[in-house]
Amino acid sequence: MTIDPITLEVLTQALISAVREMRATVCRTASSVAIYDAKDFSCGLFAPDSQVVAQSEDIGSHVVPMPWTVQVAMEKLGHTLKPGDAILVNDPYTGGTHLNDVTVIYPVFAGDRLIFFPAVRAHWADVGGAVPGSMSGKATEIYQEGIRIPPIKILEEGRHNEAAFELLLANMRLPEERLGDLNASFAACRVAEMRIREICDKYGVDQLLEAVRIDLDRAEARMRACISALPDGEYRYEDYLETYMGGRFEPLLLPLTLKIEGDRMIADFTGASPQVPFPVNSTAAVSSASVFIAVKSIFDPAAPLNQGSFRPIEVIAPPGSIVNVQRPAPAGSHGEIRKRVIATMVGALSQVAPDKVAGDLCRTSFHNLLGGYDPVTGREWVHYEWSAGGNGGFAENDGPDVMAPIDWGDLVTVQSSEVIEMRMPLLVESSRVSQDSGGAGTTRGGCSMERVIRVLAPEARYSLLSDGAVLPAFGVLGGMPGCPVGAWTEREGEMLDFDTPGKIAGHPVERDGAVVIRSAGGGGYGDPTERPAERVAEDVREGYVSSAAAYHLYGVVLDQRGEVDGVATAAQRKRLVGSRHSFRAVPVADGFEAGRVSKRRICRLHPSDAAKLDVEEDDIVEFDTRKAAALRGWVRLDSGISPGTVPLDEAGLAILLASAGEPIEIRRLDARSRPAVGLAVAAE
Amino acid sequence: MTWLGVDVGGTFTDLVLFDEEAQDIRILKTPSTPKDQSEGILTGIRRLGFAPEALTRFVHGTTVATNTALERDGAKLAIVTTAGHKDVLVVGKGNRTVMYNIKAPPVRPLVRRSDCYEVRERRRADGSVQTPLNEDDVHAVAERLAADGVEAVAICFLNAYADDSHERRCAEILFERLPGVVVATSAEVLPEYREFERFSTTALNAYVAPRLRRYVGRLRGQLRNAGLRADVSIMTSNGGSLPASRVEALPILSMLSGPAGGVIAASAIGTAAGYPNLITCDMGGTSTDVCLLRGGEYGMTTEGRVGVFPVKIRQIDIHTVGVGGGSIASRAGGVLSVGPRSAGSMPGPAAFGRGGTEPTITDANVVLGRIGTDVPLGGEIQLDLEAARSAVGRLGEDVGLETEAMADGILRIATVQLAMAIKEVSILRGIDPRDFTLLPYGGAGALHAAAIAEELGMRQVLVPPLPGNFSALGLLIADLRRDLVQTRIARTAEVTADDVRARLADLVAAGTEELDQAGFPAERHRFVASLDMRYSGQSFELSVPVALDVAEIGEIEKAFAEVYRARYGGLTAAAVEIVSYRVAAWGLSEKLTLPQVRAEGRSAEAAETGRRPIAFGGAARDVPVLARDRMPVGHTFSGPALVEEDGASTVVPPGWSAALDPVGCLVLSRI
Repeated sequence: MTIDPITLEVLTQALISAVREMRATVCRTASSVAIYDAKDFSCGLFAPDSQVVAQSEDIGSHVVPMPWTVQVAMEKLGHTLKPGDAILVNDPYTGGTHLNDVTVIYPVFAGDRLIFFPAVRAHWADVGGAVPGSMSGKATEIYQEGIRIPPIKILEEGRHNEAAFELLLANMRLPEERLGDLNASFAACRVAEMRIREICDKYGVDQLLEAVRIDLDRAEARMRACISALPDGEYRYEDYLETYMGGRFEPLLLPLTLKIEGDRMIADFTGASPQVPFPVNSTAAVSSASVFIAVKSIFDPAAPLNQGSFRPIEVIAPPGSIVNVQRPAPAGSHGEIRKRVIATMVGALSQVAPDKVAGDLCRTSFHNLLGGYDPVTGREWVHYEWSAGGNGGFAENDGPDVMAPIDWGDLVTVQSSEVIEMRMPLLVESSRVSQDSGGAGTTRGGCSMERVIRVLAPEARYSLLSDGAVLPAFGVLGGMPGCPVGAWTEREGEMLDFDTPGKIAGHPVERDGAVVIRSAGGGGYGDPTERPAERVAEDVREGYVSSAAAYHLYGVVLDQRGEVDGVATAAQRKRLVGSRHSFRAVPVADGFEAGRVSKRRICRLHPSDAAKLDVEEDDIVEFDTRKAAALRGWVRLDSGISPGTVPLDEAGLAILLASAGEPIEIRRLDARSRPAVGLAVAAE
Repeated sequence: MTWLGVDVGGTFTDLVLFDEEAQDIRILKTPSTPKDQSEGILTGIRRLGFAPEALTRFVHGTTVATNTALERDGAKLAIVTTAGHKDVLVVGKGNRTVMYNIKAPPVRPLVRRSDCYEVRERRRADGSVQTPLNEDDVHAVAERLAADGVEAVAICFLNAYADDSHERRCAEILFERLPGVVVATSAEVLPEYREFERFSTTALNAYVAPRLRRYVGRLRGQLRNAGLRADVSIMTSNGGSLPASRVEALPILSMLSGPAGGVIAASAIGTAAGYPNLITCDMGGTSTDVCLLRGGEYGMTTEGRVGVFPVKIRQIDIHTVGVGGGSIASRAGGVLSVGPRSAGSMPGPAAFGRGGTEPTITDANVVLGRIGTDVPLGGEIQLDLEAARSAVGRLGEDVGLETEAMADGILRIATVQLAMAIKEVSILRGIDPRDFTLLPYGGAGALHAAAIAEELGMRQVLVPPLPGNFSALGLLIADLRRDLVQTRIARTAEVTADDVRARLADLVAAGTEELDQAGFPAERHRFVASLDMRYSGQSFELSVPVALDVAEIGEIEKAFAEVYRARYGGLTAAAVEIVSYRVAAWGLSEKLTLPQVRAEGRSAEAAETGRRPIAFGGAARDVPVLARDRMPVGHTFSGPALVEEDGASTVVPPGWSAALDPVGCLVLSRI
């Protein structure tokens, strides 16, 4: 079968157009606001073995994991499929994401040959479970998060599987609305089926499938070319999820070994923390998809998304770990693993393609909930806020401020203050870009958003489910970390901090009290003392950087008019570089310390060295060689360590591109997180 | 008495002169003069050579406001805003600019952060005062702005849509302290809620105002020097025209000035010709504008944007894609594509011979003989066939196709993209384009119309008279129109019919004042009301037409239910909210009408002026070339054929026929 180059593009466009039509159909016919208003759904078109078309407007976190869902469904039901069948699935353990994302897969036949699967994944507002909306921050088992639907035939040769319908809807809140959403997915798939048939009638099945093959192959070829250009080897990085077990901080380790072999790439998460009885675990589909989102966004941003790009990439996610959750652990809040996987990919790739990556970005999904009962209107109200943070700086440019990260598609992240005040007894007192929140660097990390929201009702409750409150976004090539997420309350000028940063459940806020929420800043890129002083002066003029930070982080001295003092700047920069503390790396077998569930990297320092660095036991430090991403560890004072040295295991040295005996810079992780320390409220 | 319509585009300035007594239309195209558009206009006026004192109407479609915004060449602008909220325009909605790209560039906001000033003042959502306006703050800001030499100030206070007295007081002070500086308030430009959209619209308005005012001033002076005394009107985005003085005050209203004219002409001429259900396709040099009309009526939207900036002004619902005659065909990463890069008018397509070397859609048309090279384009640009052939040939070599096959391929890909634009306004909204007639205009529309129609299964194409000057024609058909809006959010259970009537009456009063000032007598006033409504909890509203004299709230709820069901299928049990009240105020004007086609000099034989080889589906055929102004009414010509006229060419592919109707529309039908 041959196809001319023009017909190839025409057929490619025709399939994209079919998916756009699916999307429009869902928007027009769905019942729940979350789908047609917030656009919390995605459509895709699959060939029996891979994903052919997805849309750029779709949410990456939805659409990229879909191939796993299709694959698992095919393994189970593929041999029994007949025209008129449709598969329904939401089970995280068999290719899904979280239970609220319900997927319809709709086989399309040409004669008796199975050729395509249109599929729709939509976020259903409720799938049963312990709480309305199904996602509970307190879930310890998946059964509390709603009903699990393994791949089943919901339509059989065009007939409704009535038993399945009844059973499902009996287990969900607002069943009529759910039925409407399901019908919207069917309608979208049928539209795609109709268009595929039209294309086949006009161009022939074989020509269409040939076009699909070439589309996938050329995406694959582009990706293989990108990977081939990288030197072979093993590159590593590690990052952590933040949890509190019984009120005590417990970081859950996520280590990545990224192997590059010729034109292939293997992302291996062996060693990831065991799964935990909190909803932070994620599925193999989500973890793999996150690897792909990172690779696509770093190496091949321009071309449309299809599965061909991902063929050269293999993901190893050990079952029973936080990246491949098994029954019965919950998986409701899978967004944090996505961010961590992307971060480890950025960290590892910074060692081999530093010009292609950026500093770590946004860090977290940052779910804030502020709600209560308004006696004036007699209504319950909830404000749900997920302000984006700063993106990482990169070779060509500063990271964008307050912008949705790469896994969030076209999602709007900053809500209108006027809308909030219209709907809720709240006053958005300020809504500002947070000064000094972007990681310092030759190019700066993007700044985050800081909002002060005052409660006008007699009382409200505030919850936060977030990572990045302890470990901020990391910098690359000597760039500094961004600021971590922050949340505190303020009343009559008194500020109160929480002692489980990032994890707050139902903290009461009285009338006239305010909640202050600040998203995470992006990581910096390159040594801040090499940022052109003029750009630092401009950042100060524009208010993104304080003059204190200009002096202490960038080494830029400004005169009273805000102009650069060249002589003083040169001297200050020299002083800054000279005051960095380096330690000789001494190889050790194990650089980690076990916790209750997982383990964390530690930095053993002689007490005199700790004093030099102004750090104490349990403080967090960054190891850096300014050759790639910085590495984090927790301080342990140990007088058995020779002064001037620091033990590092093989992985640690690899991450820093260092060998034994080399000097390693260590610095205190200066997290600007708390305005004042006060009463704290613990939460699980 | 003569009327003149002038539409200034990126490449050409189009003029239409209408003699009311003689019912005679004359058209002219002359190259645009981007530095000062009025120069090109005056050249056109001189070339038309009419008696200046007879001119009673001058209606203008201008891209000055749009270009100023897109080229970021506007005023030195400052924003004065509520303390705590200086970053509304800097941060926007926090969404990504580029999907799946870790190197998404930062957004460059319209104003620098350091040009945003906060003053202490605050209102709550219900309009009540939380913090009174601190006038000392305003005076302090005034001092800074005077020292900085700003040219325009946008005053953007939170919740000012609910009560704008703080904004007005602030404007008073600044107006007094900063003579000659443009001062605009958000509530005056757009009294609707959602601060980012309102502030953005207000800031853009202020940003483009000084340049637009200078331009209109110059144009007035030049016209006066040429002895023209007619008042200048400017086409606005909502499909109406306004006295130039109003557009100087609110230049944001003219952002879609050009494209709106074509839609108005399509509505009038399509309906007159018996085709009220139309999809327009205005294909120019760099982009194509598409609009769907049902029963002669076009839709309205408030979701417009200029570049990356939202413009919440109510405008005709026109969908634009970056595909035009100048779109470049290229191959990257194994993928062959047409656009979005464009050769623009400089250097332009390779065939323009101005240094362009990459193949464009125009070059493909020249290679295939669809655009003749005998007559210079717009009377000025001599087309170079060899340059077009070598540009297309080079890409063909890269792809492995002969030159003609490559040219044909470029047109096929372009057709798919243009068809996608039409799907966007039809299929993706649940409307079947096969129930519509395609109406192409602009320099390139009629070349591609039949192919696009075929791609979509549409059976009929209506090429209107004067397709190359169609938008200018629309300028002489448009009524005066002003859209007024006021946000007042409440559940329907919480308002009475009296409230609704009173709010609409306020808007009607404002509209009446505007129409009176423009010199329209009361019998030419028309008012149409609508409400923006939604279910409580939703974030997007539907526009619901209502009567001005609403008798009971039930009426409104019923009307909402109908619109909702038509859009989304089912209804929900949630409470219904009214968000904004809208009144469209119309001043009905005299309209240009198309003269009947005269029979003399027309016959099937006279029409065929020659034959030319033109390729269809890869095979070149010897095809008759027809002169449109010699085609007899009612005679059916079978394709393949090429119809030529001043400013446009129409391709009639095999399997299609073409016939002229009595009003002068060229009707293409699939056989």
